[in-house]
Amino acid sequence: MHANILSILDIRMNKKGQIQIGETIAVLFVFFVLITIGFVFYVKVIKGNIEAEKEELSQLKSVGVAQRVMFLPEVQCSEDNIIIDNCIDISKLDAAQKLMKENEVYYYDLFEFSDISISQIYPSDAKWSIYSRKTNDFKSRFVTNVPISLYDSTIRKHGFGILTIETLAR
Amino acid sequence: MNKKAFEVQFNWIFVLVAGAAILLFFTVVVVKQKNVSETSTKASVLKSIEAIVTGASVSTDTTNIIDMPNSNIEISCGRISVGGISRQYNNLVLFAPSLVKGDRLITQTLAFNAPYRATNLLYMTSPQLRYIIIGNSNLAKDINKTLPAELRKEFYPSMQQIQNSNNYKVRFVIFGDMMAFPKSLERMPDSDVTAVRINGDTDKGVLEFWQKNGNSWLAKGSSAYIGKASLIGAIYTDSLNAYECNIQNTFLRLNLVTKIYSEKTKKLVQKLALSSRQAECSKFYNNALAHLTRISAASSNFNKENVDDIAETSKLLAGENKNAQVYSCTLIY
Repeated sequence: MHANILSILDIRMNKKGQIQIGETIAVLFVFFVLITIGFVFYVKVIKGNIEAEKEELSQLKSVGVAQRVMFLPEVQCSEDNIIIDNCIDISKLDAAQKLMKENEVYYYDLFEFSDISISQIYPSDAKWSIYSRKTNDFKSRFVTNVPISLYDSTIRKHGFGILTIETLAR
Repeated sequence: MNKKAFEVQFNWIFVLVAGAAILLFFTVVVVKQKNVSETSTKASVLKSIEAIVTGASVSTDTTNIIDMPNSNIEISCGRISVGGISRQYNNLVLFAPSLVKGDRLITQTLAFNAPYRATNLLYMTSPQLRYIIIGNSNLAKDINKTLPAELRKEFYPSMQQIQNSNNYKVRFVIFGDMMAFPKSLERMPDSDVTAVRINGDTDKGVLEFWQKNGNSWLAKGSSAYIGKASLIGAIYTDSLNAYECNIQNTFLRLNLVTKIYSEKTKKLVQKLALSSRQAECSKFYNNALAHLTRISAASSNFNKENVDDIAETSKLLAGENKNAQVYSCTLIY
């Protein structure tokens, strides 16, 4: 009789212990599920930030390329070594076109994947493509148009044009 | 009773294991996050430097102080590294010591003219690096004036007792005879104490690179400079290799720009022949073409003879440009 009561008590105690462990495991499971949900949410937010940063970096690169073109001694106007801002010397353009094609690897370091062209609007229409290196494998594309003065130093006359810089970012 | 004791003990072991698993999970997350954050900081420093390099190509004669996260920037020929992240450039012109330490950067740009602007030279250093200029010549005074005031620089007209002020690197700039090695700096690592001895004027001259070797100086070789901009470059770089790498890239740029001016001058000659306007101009342009051809040939390789040749031809070309101005011809550059 006494032994029977002890064995029933033992089974109950065992069941109680198992329920306690089961509860703890359930709590732990819920805890880790919540942690995983939080982590997934955090990764998504971080991914979004990285994408935004990538976009910003591509835009920055595009502006950098535009700046480099504008201040390139190969095309810039100068009078007695004094640089004229926002001015491109037409008499240098043909030579610059040829030079950049011949030294594509050198200029790739400066302009990367981009297409740089100058369109004259006044006094007559003309177009020069000074650098072009494109890739099909690009994720973003930015086009920067800069109004510029076009100076023909051989006839000493100013014109007006647009410098178009298209940059491709992978 | 024994079983109950076992059950209680098992409970504690279970709690311990679960607690350890949770702690381990968060430790892994924190460590990974720390690594990501460090890499991100390094990448942002590198990004800032890239922006500085871009900015340098578009602004001449400027000095900037840039605040950044405390980092060690390693600069070698065509390579900038921050921690494990690095950026490779094919033709980078950046005169800087091999290691730039600290949370502030000093950058300076100067135009490289020979005689027309070929490129902007970019210099970078840390305010923690000490520059000691010794000399009383006009060139020494001029160089002291050209170096930014924000730099940790000292100017002595003659040899002085140098005290150790715990800088991570010390660079001596010596005009005149080489000085004896200062006793106070004997405990510094050999690679951290360097000197450049300058013999020349603002147009051109010879540079001698020295490095600490125990308690004396060890000659590391000599090179040449052309113009004040490249001389300033020799002051910022702490090794002959770094200086020559940058000046080679500068010469490559000069070579390309010279080709453009040659073509432009040819066009100017052709247009004159068509219009037969101002026949005098033709003489200046033809002379200029000969000078440009000489500069183009000399800029294909950097050495002492070519430096002398370019320095001399630049003066002649500048003279032709002046003549063109006097006779109201279109200027060559």
